[in-house]
Amino acid sequence: MTPLLDVRDLQIELVTAHGVVRAVDGVSFTVGRGETVTLIGESGSGKSTTAMGVLRLLPEGLAVLSGSVRIGGRDVLTDPGAARAVRGRTVSLIPQDPMTALSPVHTIGRQLGDAIRLRHPELSRAQARERGVDLLGQVRISRPETRWTSYPHQFSGGMLQRILIAIALAGDPELLVADEPTSALDATVQADVLDLLMELQERTGIGMLMITHDLGVARLVSDRIHVMKDGRFVESGPAGQIVERPAEPYTRDLLAAVPRLGAWDEDGTAIEGAIP
Amino acid sequence: MATYLARRIGQSLLAVFLTLTTVFLLLRLAPGDPAAAYAAPSATAADLARIRAEFGLDEPLITQYGIFLRDLCTGNLGTSYSFHASAFQVVMDRLPYTITLAVAAIAVTTVVAVPLGVWMARRADTKRELGTNVLTITGQSMPDFWTGMMLLTVFAVLLPVLPASGFTSWSGLVLPTVTVAVLQLALVSRLVRREMTTALAAPYTTVARSRGVSERALTWRYGLRNSAVPLVTALGTRFAALLNGVVVVEVVFGWPGVGSLVVRALETRDYPLIQATVLVTATLAILVQLLVDLAYPLFDPRVRLGKAA
Repeated sequence: MTPLLDVRDLQIELVTAHGVVRAVDGVSFTVGRGETVTLIGESGSGKSTTAMGVLRLLPEGLAVLSGSVRIGGRDVLTDPGAARAVRGRTVSLIPQDPMTALSPVHTIGRQLGDAIRLRHPELSRAQARERGVDLLGQVRISRPETRWTSYPHQFSGGMLQRILIAIALAGDPELLVADEPTSALDATVQADVLDLLMELQERTGIGMLMITHDLGVARLVSDRIHVMKDGRFVESGPAGQIVERPAEPYTRDLLAAVPRLGAWDEDGTAIEGAIP
Repeated sequence: MATYLARRIGQSLLAVFLTLTTVFLLLRLAPGDPAAAYAAPSATAADLARIRAEFGLDEPLITQYGIFLRDLCTGNLGTSYSFHASAFQVVMDRLPYTITLAVAAIAVTTVVAVPLGVWMARRADTKRELGTNVLTITGQSMPDFWTGMMLLTVFAVLLPVLPASGFTSWSGLVLPTVTVAVLQLALVSRLVRREMTTALAAPYTTVARSRGVSERALTWRYGLRNSAVPLVTALGTRFAALLNGVVVVEVVFGWPGVGSLVVRALETRDYPLIQATVLVTATLAILVQLLVDLAYPLFDPRVRLGKAA
């Protein structure tokens, strides 16, 4: 069976003020149905660039992509039309910062309703609303029918992220790309959102590409983990193996950097580098 | 909301009052004698004194100001020296022409500059965008009397398709409107371009694109809607400024509006007429600004009037 997402030898070069930077340097991975695959690494390792590149959401003209990316069997690198066709249908994005991810001047009902009607043009506004209210309930927004006409600024970050998950689910996608979906949220809210994602996955069998710098998150949700550094995978394998028996020093450093509760002097390890 | 409105109206009344007082004093401090402008060239000193007494200009300044305020409270703005009619009525007779020109110019500016700015944002930093930029800035940089006379030369003299002067039919509106609009195009289109560029690069646009929203909807529904507040502010401010009379353009085209009226009033030192013009146009400008402010919540739900400064 073909995987939902099949990435082969993906290279991404970004045009920056300081010249061309190879942000992603030949990565290959797949995500299958019901599977969660995590790309983990520090900022600047190229993990988010990989996710946005896979969706062809990097600015045209400033990013040069090569290799192959197949979503649901369609090559989105050679055919920009295919990229537009799969977005919102086969694949959806859960963005990094929920506070800026919704248009501030449109109600959440408008944005969710539009997402539903993009996929199901046959629905009337009222029918889309009915379906949207149901989706909001599924992501545990309380009294969803009264919140339909609220604006993004009237919600907390955690609620917005759950609304964005509802919007991502509006097109019944088979694959979710979650770009650091919890890093902008409070620790207690992070757990809620991850719980929700895993519950949705269990129920719908959706595939997930998770981008994170947080090994705690990766350990919790992943089937497979790719550890990324300077645009390459330094280590790949099943989640258990990466966490329990890391082969690479870089992975061990990442593991050691996970904060644990305890006395301050107990935890002397950190990735090298001085605080300026 | 009610407190906000009351405060804003109070502020507006104060602003109009201060403007009027300033104009009242400046007029009388500036050189020039209404009586001399009014009287025949052969008038004697005695004639001039008689005219001054008739206009009440022989009183001390503070008395004149007191009379002005008393009359203002009863809604009397005095009689125009040159028109021999109620100064307020003279201004009101001219006002519809100025409003017509201002509305037409803002409408044309909006209809041209908004799509132009959107197009520029979508073609940002290409040669064509640069060329458009140069063109609109050239339009803005040309003095309005020059633009007006060039348009007159081409469309009223060389190709006599449009009337040169006055308002005899609606076609007389075309040239003054275009002249005023040319001045606003660069400002408004560049504002739209800047706001649209920001909106199209915003995370919510990328996220919307990720769920399959078309580029057309991203531009018009998300981009333009998110650019609305600065756009409405700019158009409102320009409109308020135009209501004060487009002096040069009205004179060039012989347009019977407030702008050409104020030139004549100044030439003849027609104090009541100048004061009436200032009262009417300042009130209108402040009213437009108030309406624009009141409209903000319609364009940005995050705005709560009277809550934050």
